[in-house]
Amino acid sequence: MTMRNSFIYTILGAALLLGTSCEKEIDLNLNGNDNKLVIEAVLTDTKGDCVVKLSRTKDFAADNSFAGVSGAKVQIYHNGDTTLLTETSTGVYVAPELSGTSGNTYGLLVTLGNEQYTATSYMPSKVPMDSLSIVEEDLFGDITKVANVSFKDPAGETNYYRFQQFIRGTKVKRYYVRNDDLTNGNDINTRLYILGEDDDDHEYDINSGDEITVEMLNIDAAVYKYFFSLSSSATGESESATPANPVSNISGNAIGYFSAQTVERKTIKVP
Amino acid sequence: MKSKLLLIAVLLTAGKAMAQQKHTISGTIKSKAKGETLIGATVRVSGGGGTTTNEYGFYSITLTDGNHKLEFSSMGLQTNHLEFVLRKDTVVNISLEDESVSLGAVTITGTSTKRSLSTPQMGLEKLTTKEMKNVPVLLGERDAIKVIQLLPGIKSAGDGNAGMYVRGGAADQNLILLDEAPVYNASHLLGFFSTFNSDAIKDIAVYKGGMPAQYGGRLSSVLDIKMNDGNNQDFGVSGGVGLISAKLNVEGPIQKDKSSFLVTGRRTYADMFLKLSSDSSLNKNTLYFYDINAKMNYELGEKDKLYLSGYFGKDKLGVGDLFGLQWGNTTATLRWNHIFNNKLFSNTSLIYSNYDYTISINSGSVNADIYSKIRDYNLKEELQWYPSSSHNIRFGINSIYHTITPGQVTTSETSQINARTLEDRYSWENALYVTDNWKMSDKLSATYGLRVSAFSVLGKGDFFNIDKEGKILDTLHYKSGDFVKTYVNLEPRLALSYKLNSTSSLKASYVRNTQNLHLISNSTTSSPTDKWVASTNIIKPEISDQYSIGYYKDLFGGDYELTVETYYKSLQNQIDYRDGADVNTVSNAIESELLFGKGRAYGIEWLFKKRVGKFSGWLSYTLSKTERQIDGINNNKWYNARQDRTHDIAIVAMYQVSKKWTLSANWIYYTGDAVTYPSGKYQIDGQTVYYFTGRNTYRMPNYHRLDLGATLQLKKRKRWSSELAFSLYNAYGRENAYTITFEDSKEDPNKTVAKQTALFKFIPSISYNFKF
Repeated sequence: MTMRNSFIYTILGAALLLGTSCEKEIDLNLNGNDNKLVIEAVLTDTKGDCVVKLSRTKDFAADNSFAGVSGAKVQIYHNGDTTLLTETSTGVYVAPELSGTSGNTYGLLVTLGNEQYTATSYMPSKVPMDSLSIVEEDLFGDITKVANVSFKDPAGETNYYRFQQFIRGTKVKRYYVRNDDLTNGNDINTRLYILGEDDDDHEYDINSGDEITVEMLNIDAAVYKYFFSLSSSATGESESATPANPVSNISGNAIGYFSAQTVERKTIKVP
Repeated sequence: MKSKLLLIAVLLTAGKAMAQQKHTISGTIKSKAKGETLIGATVRVSGGGGTTTNEYGFYSITLTDGNHKLEFSSMGLQTNHLEFVLRKDTVVNISLEDESVSLGAVTITGTSTKRSLSTPQMGLEKLTTKEMKNVPVLLGERDAIKVIQLLPGIKSAGDGNAGMYVRGGAADQNLILLDEAPVYNASHLLGFFSTFNSDAIKDIAVYKGGMPAQYGGRLSSVLDIKMNDGNNQDFGVSGGVGLISAKLNVEGPIQKDKSSFLVTGRRTYADMFLKLSSDSSLNKNTLYFYDINAKMNYELGEKDKLYLSGYFGKDKLGVGDLFGLQWGNTTATLRWNHIFNNKLFSNTSLIYSNYDYTISINSGSVNADIYSKIRDYNLKEELQWYPSSSHNIRFGINSIYHTITPGQVTTSETSQINARTLEDRYSWENALYVTDNWKMSDKLSATYGLRVSAFSVLGKGDFFNIDKEGKILDTLHYKSGDFVKTYVNLEPRLALSYKLNSTSSLKASYVRNTQNLHLISNSTTSSPTDKWVASTNIIKPEISDQYSIGYYKDLFGGDYELTVETYYKSLQNQIDYRDGADVNTVSNAIESELLFGKGRAYGIEWLFKKRVGKFSGWLSYTLSKTERQIDGINNNKWYNARQDRTHDIAIVAMYQVSKKWTLSANWIYYTGDAVTYPSGKYQIDGQTVYYFTGRNTYRMPNYHRLDLGATLQLKKRKRWSSELAFSLYNAYGRENAYTITFEDSKEDPNKTVAKQTALFKFIPSISYNFKF
């Protein structure tokens, strides 16, 4: 993704130099959405992390407050053990005592009215995060502080990773996923770049003294595919000629994902 | 079987014609000033009949013995007349003098620029140098490809996009030949310039339908570009300096009248401006290209001639030290013309072409180079036989060996990336063809032929069986030299013309084309890193059947031309991408990301042209539809292909104000491409993402633009002449959409907005051209 981005930025940069590139908001007459059910379901190896959120798609022109969908029956099961999640706020279903174990496959069953939605997800083995650090890098001419996660990718298996970054407690709105296709068995330093911000936008600037938290998740192949296709074709950046809904692991007339994943968090203070 | 019958039929008719008392006049037509052989020069016989020169200036015409008046003519040159009594086979070599020798003056050309009403060829567009010179272009860089895109049925892929769409075809369905060598990426600087330096070009022909049998391998069009041979009379230098580029052309005789050379080079220096920028995000970047065309020819004897030509181009783009991308084409063609006798002409070509790119990433501990290429070795042998004045037969063979290196990842010792090489892919493409131009009567002519193409996918390598969902079921291993699969296709070609009267004619054609190299690019913008993939056991040859009918009318004594052509194309084995396809990830089984189906395209094209006089130009309008039907996309219903454009209009006007000034303008308008926009939105992990209900169900905003140009001829001194060319691109500053993106509003994060980015507003430019 980074590669492709740099490429586009350079074209735009060149056009900018000619003093000609220009941006504006436009009105498009977009059709209605299908009011589709959206499921975000997560089970981790840590108690208290198990959350299932239900919501619905909205029209493009509508506001960004997404109401939850209540009244659903949400269950997570493994080998005949079924846990019923309880709705703590509108559309948010939790099981505070439920955690998963690497190597197990978990099932999700959501029942809403007469409709049923199902998914399964495999909790992969946990790859430990060796360290979280901040590095300085020359990004398009600016010396920029970037979060860097170090870990050792296990050689014997295919691993899929997802990262979440929090700057001063605010979650960064970027999807970070990677596989070990070209890096199997290596010592990995993965940098969580924040590209595409305007120059006058400082929300995600990392400064000395800031607190940075990174979550490293091990996910299964289907969830990797979900987030990969989500980030490459559904975030509105429009580089793909075929934007589409991400490839979901949920069956039934719903979109979203169910991920059984391991999680490790580290927090540092920026030197 | 079919081809055998055809050949026999041809031989029979030819034999009959030769039984009468006739003799042959043959020879080469050249320009006097430069000694360049002339392509498509006309030989007219008073009292009816005639022929044109082939791509090496050779002609042959067989007439009954007796008194004949011949007229030799070519675009922009003085016509020669010859009267003589034919008693035996005669060689007549002709040199035509320039009508006008100056660089700037607009040549008001004679009758030979006229498109022919009587030849069956249709869907053919030719450009004159005048049109190429005067149509205003971006940054003053004259570009034949950009001018071609102003003709009906041929559409630009848009600002900042290299491709062109011909009659609903995709960007990879155009066969682009430079001196017979396929060019796999015809653009520089992301499509702002084409790889063809107009100074080095002798002739351009675009076939959008009715392709003769000697061409094959792509579905939509053939763009056949021939380089100048070089002046074999005098040494000459010409060049130009523009805002962002400079070029120089040197040519001259090696041995007067016999051999010559030509070297043309270009280099852009936009990156020098980047360095001047105070913006730190720009001044460390690199962005330039250069290219070189070179050619030499040598006459071995009266009957043999050798040509060696080559092209080398390179683009370099770099973002500081972080990221680099370089790409380029190399082609080389060695040709040997041999005249067996006055009726049989042979050409043998050995052709090499190569396209490659390297991506370098150098960020933190990720250091890697990714290299990819496509390379061809190509042999062609063609015989042209002129058995009688009513037949002109070509037959030939073509054999190409393709090697595709999809991706080689090399890394430094310390890099965390593992080196890896994807398997090279090998294939062997063969074709055998025969075609005959048959003048049945004064009114009726036909070109009919057959091309037999065979494409063999070769080992060594792994091939796959996949299921409907794209999952790999098993892997098939092949050894070096194994034939994995061979696709044989019969491609009939037929074109007819019927002359209604002296000013109008009707033509019809049918052509089948197949294509075994496919460009995989799942992106709204074309990129040099788009992948060429050969047919495999899963990717079948793309097939197109095109039917077209046209009406041609000369108006007002031939000063004006009206052309109306309509076409219907049906396409098989078209390729599109699965939802969420990842075609960039390094993987051997690209097939698992693709879907296959059919397509159809139809349309009607009008061209109204004023050819001669102080004021010249044309009006072109295309009304068309292009669709695909692929299982797995849009509920298996027909949907618009990305390049579907309902309306496409171009107006081109050139006006010679005085001897010094020429003004020009062009205006274009087209319906926005079919694109996919979101129909709704939702949130995943607190971030707004978009909900889609179908592929290509929306439209980009309509595109329109006016460009203005002016050329000022400066004072001439002896041999020295020079001119200044001014242009204003996008004169009324229309912001045409390059991309449309969707995001949460910066002002009000509770709203989402659609944002359009346009690349160009006004771009003025000035350039200086000289010649001595």
